[in-house]
Amino acid sequence: MAVADTSFDPVAFRRGIKAALPLVVPPIPFGLALGLVVRDSEVVGNFVGWASSWILFAGSAQLVAVQLLDEGASIAVIVLGLAMINARHVVYSAVISQRIGSVPGWFRVVGSYWLTDQVFAIDEMQPEAITTRQRMWMMLGAGATFWTVWQTIVLLGIVAGGYLPDDFPVGFTVAVLFAGLMVLSIKNRPGVVAAVVGGIVVIATRGLPPGTGVVIALLAGAAAGAWAERLLEAR
Amino acid sequence: MTPWIVFIAAGAVTFGMRGAFLLFGDHITLPAWTGAPLRYVGPAAFAAITMPAMLGEDGVSNLVPPSPEVVGVAGAVLVVAKTRNIPMCLVVALVLWWAAGAAGL
Repeated sequence: MAVADTSFDPVAFRRGIKAALPLVVPPIPFGLALGLVVRDSEVVGNFVGWASSWILFAGSAQLVAVQLLDEGASIAVIVLGLAMINARHVVYSAVISQRIGSVPGWFRVVGSYWLTDQVFAIDEMQPEAITTRQRMWMMLGAGATFWTVWQTIVLLGIVAGGYLPDDFPVGFTVAVLFAGLMVLSIKNRPGVVAAVVGGIVVIATRGLPPGTGVVIALLAGAAAGAWAERLLEAR
Repeated sequence: MTPWIVFIAAGAVTFGMRGAFLLFGDHITLPAWTGAPLRYVGPAAFAAITMPAMLGEDGVSNLVPPSPEVVGVAGAVLVVAKTRNIPMCLVVALVLWWAAGAAGL
């Protein structure tokens, strides 16, 4: 197979940065709060806590990890728990891999490392027709932006702390961010069906370990979206 | 030492999951029937992450009457649908959240 041209595409890279900038705003309180939790932790030191940002690069998993370490949970329990919380990324990986086409090995590594919810959301918002090269550099622009901001914010939270009022609704800003990403990723009526089913199933599976319900809801919602698409086409 | 072990192990697992398909590039071709569901992963996943974050510990009982979080997220959804603007939706959501709390919801 001919290897596509994947040389640096400044326009797509800038487009990725531009798409990422509005999405870095809502996670800022969460990053600061995570930094504070690290600073207050008696088990997790400041440097290793900050290191979790570049080792894991996954906000909610980092927070749960620090909390579980503080509670004295075993290594196996924590790692398994975090794996469940991040399991949805397997599906993101499947979606991106099928869409992006033939990409160089270094991009597969960097792209995998940077494949967060937001990078996935930005890729979702791109028109189907963009080239492999454009998609790749746009993902890199977005990933680099999120990565840089995230490392900075968590570090700020650890070093300076106290920027947030005590009663600031950190979890709420996460809900708002994802509600926004949900709306941005809905392109048609089957998309609405997928979101509604995903939302209902996650509530129905509340009793399951963290992350598990999200994966089940994601699969159920995606299947419902596909089913709705077929129904609409048949009409 | 324990935090390092946890983060490095969980980091490796997370990287493995993010790369589960992407690392293998176009060497993995998924069966055709997966195409349609994969188009709807985004809305389903983001809705599934939003709901527990919005409803919190009390779950569905926060829907009626709506908690400040539910009011704020509903406002955010309308703002994004209308403007596609995430920072603006955050501002509106925070104002609504605060107002709903002040109103005793």
